[in-house]
Amino acid sequence: MKKVITFTLNGHEVSAEVESHRMLLYVLRETFHLTGTKEGCGQGECGTCTVLVDGLNVNSCIYPAFEVEGKSVTTIEGLVGEGNKLHPIQQSFVDNGGIQCGFCTPGMIMSAKALLDENPNPTEEEIRKAIAGNLCRCTGYVQIVDAITKAAKSLK
Amino acid sequence: MKRFDYLQPDTLREAHRLMEKARGKAKYIAGGTDLMVHIKTGAVQPDALVSLKRIQELSGMTQNKDLVLGSMTPLRDIERDAPIAQNYSALAQAVMALATPQIRNVATVGGNLCNSAPSADCAPPLLVLEARLTVEGPGGRREVAVEDFFTGPGQTCMDMTEILTKIKIPCPHRDMRMAFLKLGRVSIDIAIVNAAVCLTVEKNTCRKCRLAVGAVAPVPLRLSSVEKMIEGQEISDELLNAAKDMAEDAVNPITDVRSTQHYRRIMSGVLVKRVIEKAMKGMGV
Repeated sequence: MKKVITFTLNGHEVSAEVESHRMLLYVLRETFHLTGTKEGCGQGECGTCTVLVDGLNVNSCIYPAFEVEGKSVTTIEGLVGEGNKLHPIQQSFVDNGGIQCGFCTPGMIMSAKALLDENPNPTEEEIRKAIAGNLCRCTGYVQIVDAITKAAKSLK
Repeated sequence: MKRFDYLQPDTLREAHRLMEKARGKAKYIAGGTDLMVHIKTGAVQPDALVSLKRIQELSGMTQNKDLVLGSMTPLRDIERDAPIAQNYSALAQAVMALATPQIRNVATVGGNLCNSAPSADCAPPLLVLEARLTVEGPGGRREVAVEDFFTGPGQTCMDMTEILTKIKIPCPHRDMRMAFLKLGRVSIDIAIVNAAVCLTVEKNTCRKCRLAVGAVAPVPLRLSSVEKMIEGQEISDELLNAAKDMAEDAVNPITDVRSTQHYRRIMSGVLVKRVIEKAMKGMGV
């Protein structure tokens, strides 16, 4: 079955005809061509498909697309500001070497965003817990935690 | 992946009607964090999913005397609820140890139970807290004790059309102490063994003991024999060692990708001992 769903995507109201078996990840990438959100495991384990739905980080690869009707979805593309200026969290990942191959980075940054929106002064342990659902296979997590710690400071 | 219809009723009655119409070829979906994975791997191939997300009466938490959780309460909300952390710490600890933030934002307490994994982290705390579940089908409503709910791996006492609507947890006694522990490779993994205890202790003597373990039998398991042995006794090292040995005999684990039968059996005993120690140290919180 198909249905037109309407939701807010990175601040803009959008509509699309979607098939009922599609996941949010598919709609973001294939319908709206927002390919910043990646597919890793496809089973809600690795977190590379993380986006925000009504401000909460979720795995878009197992989130039924029909469920975003009326909700607000934010992807990594939605963090970029005027004139393609990177969001402070993105900038902090660049500045602190929190990126190696980059595949986990969009999801990692969306989890960091969800954390800092709720808790602007996280401890290192709180940061590590907040990104427990985001796997990085390149760098280890030291620079990533460092980048989020410094992003928290620059956001103040 | 197999295609499926996705139906979003607003009421229980409508959900029941859709499920009856599907004649066994549809499944209810709550958060979907387990079900979608099963569909993607082909383990489950429904023609339609009936989403419970829009049904108002399944959401929300209320506490008068007992705590009542709507079955669609996301784990996230339980994790952040201060009264639950204070009064039902075993449940709060279990939810915090369950999967990842992304999963906890979507997965629901009812979904965790209805999925009926022997390893479900919410099951041992709800068993020891003696929760009662309300189940509602087209024919009416019934209440079941959580220990009668699970009938096998992936199976519950509900028929295809019934929906778990509410989880009622009795108000804890003032002298109650409780705890939850989980053994996994890392905490976000599915448990190798998990355990919860709820003890009522008066003047160093255990008046009431409720003990449960998970992932070591076809269903999450109350350890009644161990409970009886502990009740009326003073909690001592000897008693804990006896409880450990008894728990090893009471469980019935399997070998799978996460662990061996042998390791699970031994760690069931160890976790039983440790979870009681944790509860005794924790003074109820």
